[in-house]
Amino acid sequence: MTGASVTLRHRDWVGLALAGLSVVSFVAALWMVFGYAPREATMGDVQRIFYFHVASAWVGFFGFFVTFAAGILYLAYADRRWDVVAHASAQVGLAFITMTLLTGMLWAKPAWGVYWTWEPRLTISAVQWLLYVAYAMLRGSVTSAEREARFAAVYGIVAFVTVPLSWFAIRWWRTIHPQIVSGEGMAITPPMAQTLFVSLGAFTLVYAALLLQRIRLADARDRLEALRLAGES
Amino acid sequence: MLEIAGLTKSFGPRQALASVNLLVDDGDFVVLAGPNGAGKTTLLRILAMLMRPSSGTLLLGGVDLLRAGPGVRRQIGYLSHRTLLYDDLTAEQNLRFYARMYGMAEPEARIAELLARVDLAERRGDLVRTYSRGMQQRLAVARTLLHEPRLLLLDEPYTGLDPVASDRLTALLSGLSGEGRTLLLTTHALESVALAGRRGVILSRGRVVYDGVIDDPAGFGARYRALVGSPASASPPSGPRASEYVSARSDGRRKGAESGPLSTTGGDTKRGEAPGYLRQVLAIVAKDLAAEMHTREIFSAMAVYAILAMLIFSFALDLRGAVARAAAPGVLWASIAFAGTLGLNRSMAREQENGGMDGLLLSPADRTVVLVGKALGSLAMMAALEAVLVPLATILFNVGLLNAGVLAVVLVGSVGYALVGTLLAAIAINTRAREVMLPILLLPLVVPMLIAAVQVTGGLLEGLRWADLRGWTQLLVVYDLLIAAASLLTFEIVVEA
Repeated sequence: MTGASVTLRHRDWVGLALAGLSVVSFVAALWMVFGYAPREATMGDVQRIFYFHVASAWVGFFGFFVTFAAGILYLAYADRRWDVVAHASAQVGLAFITMTLLTGMLWAKPAWGVYWTWEPRLTISAVQWLLYVAYAMLRGSVTSAEREARFAAVYGIVAFVTVPLSWFAIRWWRTIHPQIVSGEGMAITPPMAQTLFVSLGAFTLVYAALLLQRIRLADARDRLEALRLAGES
Repeated sequence: MLEIAGLTKSFGPRQALASVNLLVDDGDFVVLAGPNGAGKTTLLRILAMLMRPSSGTLLLGGVDLLRAGPGVRRQIGYLSHRTLLYDDLTAEQNLRFYARMYGMAEPEARIAELLARVDLAERRGDLVRTYSRGMQQRLAVARTLLHEPRLLLLDEPYTGLDPVASDRLTALLSGLSGEGRTLLLTTHALESVALAGRRGVILSRGRVVYDGVIDDPAGFGARYRALVGSPASASPPSGPRASEYVSARSDGRRKGAESGPLSTTGGDTKRGEAPGYLRQVLAIVAKDLAAEMHTREIFSAMAVYAILAMLIFSFALDLRGAVARAAAPGVLWASIAFAGTLGLNRSMAREQENGGMDGLLLSPADRTVVLVGKALGSLAMMAALEAVLVPLATILFNVGLLNAGVLAVVLVGSVGYALVGTLLAAIAINTRAREVMLPILLLPLVVPMLIAAVQVTGGLLEGLRWADLRGWTQLLVVYDLLIAAASLLTFEIVVEA
């Protein structure tokens, strides 16, 4: 990444700290999910997948928001660093949305009797997944780096238009998808809510650590390319 | 007066232009020379406003080209490596289309005059695809001169021309220079006698390494080889260069400065407003439909594909009654969506064949004119397809699709589809996997819209009222509006280089 503002030494500390924090918080989240949160009365232990499902969905959507915002910043300032952030966040976000879909299907079978149903939020989640697979394919199919960044920024912005629809779809139509947070408060017990918040924090830290690693990788690739060009001239 | 100061252009870590400075007086005839990759084409494309520089300033007649409105493009004519012509239109149709894009009120006389000057009057009604390379180049010259630009940017204009046509072009260009028009021309034929007395500028690795009058073309060729043939050419060598030339022309520069700011066509505004938005949109639609009338390839491909899909679904499912009513909307919309990608892809591919998109971007039109015009052209094609598919689905599934409500939903859904499809086709066409990329990009984006359209269509078939379908209708309309707004806001970014 030409002109990267963060020094290698600084990045190392940040990277190590983030990796350490994410490991610690993830272990804590695992303990709370299996050792602290109560067993749900109706669904039993299968309900525990909810803590991973919701947390990965949150991180996935947050990752796409970062891609969207970084895309706008790239178009506004033509700074390649924002493109690197957008790309990295989409990759990490795609991994987490994949996890959301898989955990959702595992939960849906015992809860609803089917792995999949065309309920609005599920549909929009699937569409999100497809959009970011398309985003990744677009990235890999453009030869010019500048053009790739520009096209990806536009696609990332247009694709994110569907996120608010996904968020509100559950309220626009009377979906069978559970609503954890509504105008009447949270539909879970305090220990469950605490476990959910710790999971959300842990997944967010994992996202940040992975994002940083992807950015560092892109940085290294750019410096290698710059060295190659310098060697050619 | 054209003033270029500190112009740089980088593609990632690679620098194509490195602080180029040039002053070109009105009526100057500048020969740009340089080895492959020296930055000549990049410089011309920036001057033609097809590409934005990384930094620097560009003034044409005192107008800042980087901030000017689209109207200023009427002062610029650009002859590209590619012809920017449409193979599926005749010579006359090509020129008439560009005349409409440039807002020319009575173009017929000008078109006839130019076709005669490039010796194509007798072939004016023939499709461009039947022309030889040299004939296409002559027509491209006519296209470049059509709107009588003050600044002519000619990238290898002699490409494909026979000796007689080359002589005619030389005479034509000399005449234009004599009229006070400014010419920048790139060529590798450095020892041509036609260059004698012109101003020669040599670019090497994105830098101006020589700028002076070409007294002797053979000597210019030798100087060129000396300057660009050694590694030292990366930095400006000693000897006569730009500074001397500019100094010698300082009187001319003052004269140019005194000539006042550039006026756009009709002298209406310095900033250059683009007139006739709707007229330009309709010109693009008419051009696309005229090309389709000559080939009938887009509609045929879409119709055959969609009809096959519908027949296969109908045969495989063989549905009747309530089940058929439930399935018919999905089959109809799936057929429209998949066939639509074929049409959108081919329509944009047609623009790319000879660089037609550059031709559109050169015209004094707002970038959204291109999006809306192309989208309306595709929408017309989709509407024709739907006029076949809706009755066919009615017959095959024995359901009442032929009603105003269903037709309105089909139209609303198709508008958003065509707009975002055009935006994404402009992206897809620039990828390695251009044949398959459009459906990958487009279909996930329109799935919620398609679901809403299917639900509304199905609801109407079941006899539901609009009030009962409000949620799905809202989704369809909101999605349509959001996607349309995003497409309009981002299209310029997609097509800009």
